[in-house]
Amino acid sequence: MTPRWRNKETIAAWLFILPSLIGFLIFTAGPVVAAGVISLLNWNLFSSPTFAGLRNFARLGPDPTFWSALGNTAYFTFLSVPLTMLVSLALALLLNQGLRRIAVFRSLLLLPYATITVAVAFVWIWLYIPHGGLVNTVLGWFGVAGPAWLISDHWAMPALIAMSVWKSFGFGMVVFLAGLQAIPQQLYEAARVDGSSAWQSFRNVTVPMLSPALFFVIVTSIIGSFQVFDQALIMTNGGPGSRTTTLVMYIYRTGFENYDQGYAAAQSLVLFGFIVVITAAQFVLQRRLVHYDN
Amino acid sequence: MRSELSRRSLLKYTGAAVAASGLLSACSSRPPGAATWSMWSSSPAERKVWDAFSQYVEQQLMIESVPTLTPSGGYPTKLDLQLVSGTASLVTALNGQLIPTYAARGAHRPLDDLIAADPDFELDDFYPASRKISTFNHQIYGIGFDVAPTVLYYNKTLLAKAGIAAPSRTEPMTWATFRELAKELTRPPDQYGFTCSPAIDDLVSWIYCAGGNVMNDDGSASALNAPEATEAIQFVIDLFVKDQVTPPISNLVTESSLANFLEGNVAFMQNGPWQVVNVRKAKFDWDVVPFPAGAAGSTPRVSGSSFAIPSGVKGDELQLAWKLLKTLTSTGALDIYAKAGRNNPARLSAGSAFKPPPDNLGVVRDILAGKVAGGHPFDVTTNWNQVKQLLGQDLPRTFLGQVSVPEAIEGLTPRLDVLMKQHQDNIRQAEARKG
Repeated sequence: MTPRWRNKETIAAWLFILPSLIGFLIFTAGPVVAAGVISLLNWNLFSSPTFAGLRNFARLGPDPTFWSALGNTAYFTFLSVPLTMLVSLALALLLNQGLRRIAVFRSLLLLPYATITVAVAFVWIWLYIPHGGLVNTVLGWFGVAGPAWLISDHWAMPALIAMSVWKSFGFGMVVFLAGLQAIPQQLYEAARVDGSSAWQSFRNVTVPMLSPALFFVIVTSIIGSFQVFDQALIMTNGGPGSRTTTLVMYIYRTGFENYDQGYAAAQSLVLFGFIVVITAAQFVLQRRLVHYDN
Repeated sequence: MRSELSRRSLLKYTGAAVAASGLLSACSSRPPGAATWSMWSSSPAERKVWDAFSQYVEQQLMIESVPTLTPSGGYPTKLDLQLVSGTASLVTALNGQLIPTYAARGAHRPLDDLIAADPDFELDDFYPASRKISTFNHQIYGIGFDVAPTVLYYNKTLLAKAGIAAPSRTEPMTWATFRELAKELTRPPDQYGFTCSPAIDDLVSWIYCAGGNVMNDDGSASALNAPEATEAIQFVIDLFVKDQVTPPISNLVTESSLANFLEGNVAFMQNGPWQVVNVRKAKFDWDVVPFPAGAAGSTPRVSGSSFAIPSGVKGDELQLAWKLLKTLTSTGALDIYAKAGRNNPARLSAGSAFKPPPDNLGVVRDILAGKVAGGHPFDVTTNWNQVKQLLGQDLPRTFLGQVSVPEAIEGLTPRLDVLMKQHQDNIRQAEARKG
């Protein structure tokens, strides 16, 4: 009898999976394992590494920049994700009203998401110029004197968040729109027959039926937000002070500018741990909150 | 329907995969026998200079020259990855600020043995400041290709329009005179007296001129809280915050003294002669003069760049690397560099090739030769990136008036002291490796 692994279909299946699997092993699983090993070493990249035990993890406690970067990252995540969700959902609901030329609007609204962050960041630097920038000019029309956004202690992070929401709402919008269009119309008709208002239909039909899409967008947005790096690097370089220094930025600097690979790996594992815990919590909650039709 | 994969086919595919990966890895290694070198290059004009260098190398060494050119922002990261993976070029360019960083970590080798064994090599033809910048722990790790002091650019047209006489070409003005001039020439929002970068790279020139430094003489503790350094920083911050003689800062990342100066409405700019090539595009008349003199005289930062040989280069390759390094820093090569106006060459014998405009460009050579004013080689540590990051966090806030100078220095000093201890550890480790 032919062994199962030499079966043509099995081999074909493995060949289809192989590119993705190789990519996962080399670029995801491999680096995670490597980070685990490197976090136990003192390694400056060029000299031979020496064993450090758990010392790199112990250094995290008294490092104020690490905690400040973690706080900034949490601030960014817990403000940008809900805002992005709200904007995405609002626009998806708007586009789902049977608008003509919906494909054109959908494509236009998806443009910020499809544009590379570096280009978007430079455009937003111009928008945020205190004197003559578009944002402060518009605020000026309403008698509001806008701040110097990117050098202000209080406004630098909200400015980054606003840019990130604009940059990323397109992804959620497309997912939500697909989810909305898959909701059977009979459910809305039944609700109407039962005397439901528009708000009640939204709360009792749309939200439950859209919950798998909401869950997917929340999980991917939170993971993405915890890894925020490029917009902060380009627009503020972590400043003023360390007000917009994010964890990934600090990890990059520790590893590749300060040549402290062990400490950078320890930081990245802690970030990985945070993301795993938060994602696991979301998966636990989804059993109660997410409605699957089947 | 089921079909089988024969053992022969399986071996064939596996062999093909191994061959392909071998080919890929071969592509990333150093081409044998070629003169490989790495350099940063961020513009077509720079690329043109390095292409001319490459042709010069081929003419002199009669072998293929393979330059690896990388935009300056990504150069250190690319170099690090090449050094770690053993694929670095035989000779790599290093910014003088980073020579102690690489040397202390054993990434590059000292050149003293190669210099001693080569009677043709004239180390004395290099400016003393260039030699100092390339030295770490009493050993030479690089041979300079450019070196220059910070100077004061001024807008001749603007000064003439305001009826103010041009500053002396050789005698540095005092800080007090400079401040008065900057104030006199400021008419916001149309015209400003002065521009510089809100960063330590520009602040150190004022600190050196006041007789201070970022760290003490042996690099074991911060010296920013010494009166000389504090007064110097306060003087510059006052220009920004109190006197407001500088264009307003709208973004700390994109703030550029060069862009401000090229606007044509700023009287003075602090910068190095490496910007001469860009300022030549200005639509107004301009020149350079020595940096304003503080209590310790006119001793601004002198910075430079060098070529160095990675530690992994050994055997026959080392001989080729040394020949290549000598060629890249020869008078002929540096003539090409200087004639293109990139910067002042590190060799005295190539100095005359760095020609005007501006009229007073020769003052750069006179400063380096000690004939006029003075300069202070940029003192850096083995963890200068970290020091810069730390200073880059809190010092810029003083330029914005968000924190006072004493507050910023008080917050920075203990953290800077920790970095100085790390620097001492790095030196000890480097010495242990040497021993």
